Amino acid sequence: MFENVIDGIFSAVFLAAILRVTTPILLPSLGALISEKAGVLNIGLEGMMLSSAFTGVVVSAYSQDWFGAETGVAVGPWLGLLLGVCVSLLLSFVLALFHLDLKGDLFLSGIALNIFGSSATVAIMFELTGDRGNTSTLASLQMPFIHLPDFINQIPLIGPIFFDIFNNQSVMTWIAFVGVFVVSFVMYRMPFGMHLRAVGENPEAAASVGINVKRIRYYALMISGFFAGLGGIHMGMGYLQLFQRDMTAGRGFIALVTPSLGGGTPAGTMVASLVFGFFDALGIRIGSLEIPSQLPQSIPYFATVLALVIYALQRRISQRVSEMRTASGAAFDAAFWGSIQRISILHMLLMMFAVIGVVTSGAILSAPNGFGGAETAVPAGLLIGVVSVALFVIGLPFVTDIFRIQERWMASAAVTIVSLGIYLTLLLALFFEPLLALAVALALSALVWWMIGGRVLMRSGVSNA
Amino acid sequence: MTVQKKQAPAAPSGDSSFVRKHLLLIIGAVAGIIVTLFVTNTLFDGSLEKMTDTPTWQNVLLVNALVGGCILLFVVELKRQAIRVLLTVIVALLLGFLVTFVFNLDSADRFRRGEFRAQVISDAEPIETDGVDLEYNKRRGGEFNKPNVVAPVSEIAWTFAGSEGDVVSLLAYAKNRRSDVNVLVELRDASGAVLEQATSATARQVEEIFDDLVSVRDAVIEGYTLPADGVYTLYSRPEEIDTGTVLSEALNQSQLAFEALLLGPIERVNRWGVWIQDAITLILLGMSFAIVFRAQQFSLGAEGQLYFGALVSGIIALNSPHVPGVILIPFIILASATAGFIYGLIPGALKAYLGANELVSTLMLNVIATRFFEMVLNFQLKPPDAGYVASEKFTANAVLPVIVENTQVTIAVFILVIVVLISWLLIRRTPLGYEIRIIGSNLRFADYGGVNSKRTIMLVMAIGGIVAGLAGMHLANGIHRQLILNISFALAFEGVVVALLARLNVLVVPFTGLLYAYLRAGAQFMERDANVSFEVVRMIQAIIILLITAEALVTFFQARQKRADIDETGHAVESLEGADV
Repeated sequence: MFENVIDGIFSAVFLAAILRVTTPILLPSLGALISEKAGVLNIGLEGMMLSSAFTGVVVSAYSQDWFGAETGVAVGPWLGLLLGVCVSLLLSFVLALFHLDLKGDLFLSGIALNIFGSSATVAIMFELTGDRGNTSTLASLQMPFIHLPDFINQIPLIGPIFFDIFNNQSVMTWIAFVGVFVVSFVMYRMPFGMHLRAVGENPEAAASVGINVKRIRYYALMISGFFAGLGGIHMGMGYLQLFQRDMTAGRGFIALVTPSLGGGTPAGTMVASLVFGFFDALGIRIGSLEIPSQLPQSIPYFATVLALVIYALQRRISQRVSEMRTASGAAFDAAFWGSIQRISILHMLLMMFAVIGVVTSGAILSAPNGFGGAETAVPAGLLIGVVSVALFVIGLPFVTDIFRIQERWMASAAVTIVSLGIYLTLLLALFFEPLLALAVALALSALVWWMIGGRVLMRSGVSNA
Repeated sequence: MTVQKKQAPAAPSGDSSFVRKHLLLIIGAVAGIIVTLFVTNTLFDGSLEKMTDTPTWQNVLLVNALVGGCILLFVVELKRQAIRVLLTVIVALLLGFLVTFVFNLDSADRFRRGEFRAQVISDAEPIETDGVDLEYNKRRGGEFNKPNVVAPVSEIAWTFAGSEGDVVSLLAYAKNRRSDVNVLVELRDASGAVLEQATSATARQVEEIFDDLVSVRDAVIEGYTLPADGVYTLYSRPEEIDTGTVLSEALNQSQLAFEALLLGPIERVNRWGVWIQDAITLILLGMSFAIVFRAQQFSLGAEGQLYFGALVSGIIALNSPHVPGVILIPFIILASATAGFIYGLIPGALKAYLGANELVSTLMLNVIATRFFEMVLNFQLKPPDAGYVASEKFTANAVLPVIVENTQVTIAVFILVIVVLISWLLIRRTPLGYEIRIIGSNLRFADYGGVNSKRTIMLVMAIGGIVAGLAGMHLANGIHRQLILNISFALAFEGVVVALLARLNVLVVPFTGLLYAYLRAGAQFMERDANVSFEVVRMIQAIIILLITAEALVTFFQARQKRADIDETGHAVESLEGADV
């Protein structure tokens, strides 16, 4: 059963699923990126997505009445897209108006738009269909799917895999990934993009060289509304073929984190969105195991919190290293500190796994009946808990203070190898005998430590001694 | 959101009278007494006897007096801003009325569709003919414009046979009182020419002559003498609706809906109880947000903290059926507060020591808490044979004691009073409260002045968690008396509105909580009585937030006001712009 899940994860179908579930995160993330770059983070993405999804679904359903069945099916989705994005643009205009001209608080106005989007869609849905949960009574349509030409499948080696991943993806998925390049081009190759970044970094300075700060921020908010609208359209007419109450399920909020996790660049945002897409798809796939569905469902949210922590820690470390660089000048050993930084990131990732272990054991101990009964679940939960807490405790000193990695490099190496070894053993035990798995895992961990910077540390540690 | 320490208006010059000095206090007291009396009066239909017949009526009075007290606090604390809060609510309600009106534009459609009957009444001898649709004195029916069908019936033309000199009456009418269809009826001869037409019936026809008729909207052609032998046609369809009818119908329905919204909650004691019990939860949540927002921390974690508070108090309640309530209830209260504290500490620590954005982290932690609650409830607390996901009912010793019979108004009222007092002391009268306020107004200044801002930020989020945990306890042990899925029903965001309307003033939160709970309770009765979706009230809520945060909306008003203030007192007192939101 577990092997099935693992096999499933390493398949082209799973990669295709990742693209599908990444789209509704990536599109609003691009919007969030642009608004964040202009210094006006759009909190209302969720409400805008919901409104546009609802509008798209309703328009596509009614277009069959308006234009007749055949034309309706062809025109409906695109008309839905157009009007849905228009509604989203309108909401973002309202947000910009209230924040920039009426001096309302951006955060609270955004919350207001979210409440509005969530309630207005349900209220209108109730008026139209008499249903409060979804629009399944409306014959709504889907955005077209792109079929790749068959010759791609004929290309040897990569052809079939490529075909499996990219064939039959919704047009919105393509728009999302092309959007990354467009946003990238606009941000770095066009005057508007430069103004946008200038306004975000220092509005006073931007204003002093004649940039109209307010206008740029209006544009930024409305562009973010545009992308949120596209994301909403994908939710209602690609991801699903109907509108559900609050169907975006926090994606508009996840989109607020991805730009900062991605280092504030379009490409980084795309990678961060793909990570969330991966967790989302993983959650869906793990659902086939016999564990409570709530556990995989909360993975993306949990990952967000951990990602926030790691992002904050890592930012602090780079800050300290760069401070040191300025302080020590020419004597600064870049290769050495680079290795320290890489090892500290590895420490953090391992800590993250330890925290996941603690939480998992907490979940198992709180509801043992969901994991196959108290007799087996409680000892397993306790074991996982104790091991995770132990790994957490031994790893903590090296995360809170990176200088300890330098001072006590042997302890740091031991912690890294033991922790990584345990996690790798768990994975390798699926393929090898347990003892062999342990040996391979430990060897692999040592190799990883050596590769990412251990050798530099070791050399300097030995020479210092 | 600049949170400013409120300055009392500079005292007017010494020779002013007592009334002038305490004007606000007097206005507040009068408003409070009026509302207390009005609510009590409406609740008991103005009869003293009915009041004293109601069990535990003294406690109803007590709670109403507390409501009055909340109004007093509202006026005294917010001063002129109180007017703005009230105006905002009124404007939002008007906009909500507009939305309701638009939603009700289709309410005239009920005249166009529904079940109907048609018949031809005559004392004459019926003619035996094949191929006709109607016989004398036989009813036949159908449904006009039935929704969601392929070919709805929009008109009928049924034939009947008659001989010269037959006196016939043609009827087309709504089948019963559930159907409001408004029909017309025509008598046509074999060539299709209209011989007679009718669109309505007289009151006399409805009441005395034709038993089948329901209302004057039904159509009757009475006592028509057929000119010749042959086949005639009874034709009927719903009447056209003119724009005037559409508008007046929509207006009527919207009025009905808003009557239910505005007066529904104080119609009867049990409805009043719905209002008060909802208000207690909302006030607790509003307090939680008000405290946290005071320190400029946009933490939305109250929902997750509420779930943990509810879960912990529920688990204790389910596992101690034999502990006397006197010991158990305080223990449950403490435990839920602790649970909220701990779950508030997490985002607090993440923000204070790692700089993690509290908005995002709390939103994520909310979902995690909700899922965790669902998992434990579904797999551990649910009795194995239960049909739906809920725990067993709590035993009586674990339920908060009720103080008004037939409602779920419990001793939570007193807990709430204590919480409000403590929060007020905390914010206004303790060093920690001072630090919270100073961090809220200027973090750098606080750091410079030696405030341990990290510790304070962490603590303030955890303290907010305590209050939210208590709200969860109230939901579990006071209202539902068991753990159910979706126990908060997205209440947390409503707490944001309550805190904002109160301008983050913990003494005003009780009033705004009552006000908002009143709207929510009203919305329930509006949905029940007038079939207008509950969500309309959430739209009103969104409008309120937008309007209340938009400072520039009052710029021109405030400019004049400022001048007046200076003239009057010689000082520029805090103007409307100083709104601490």
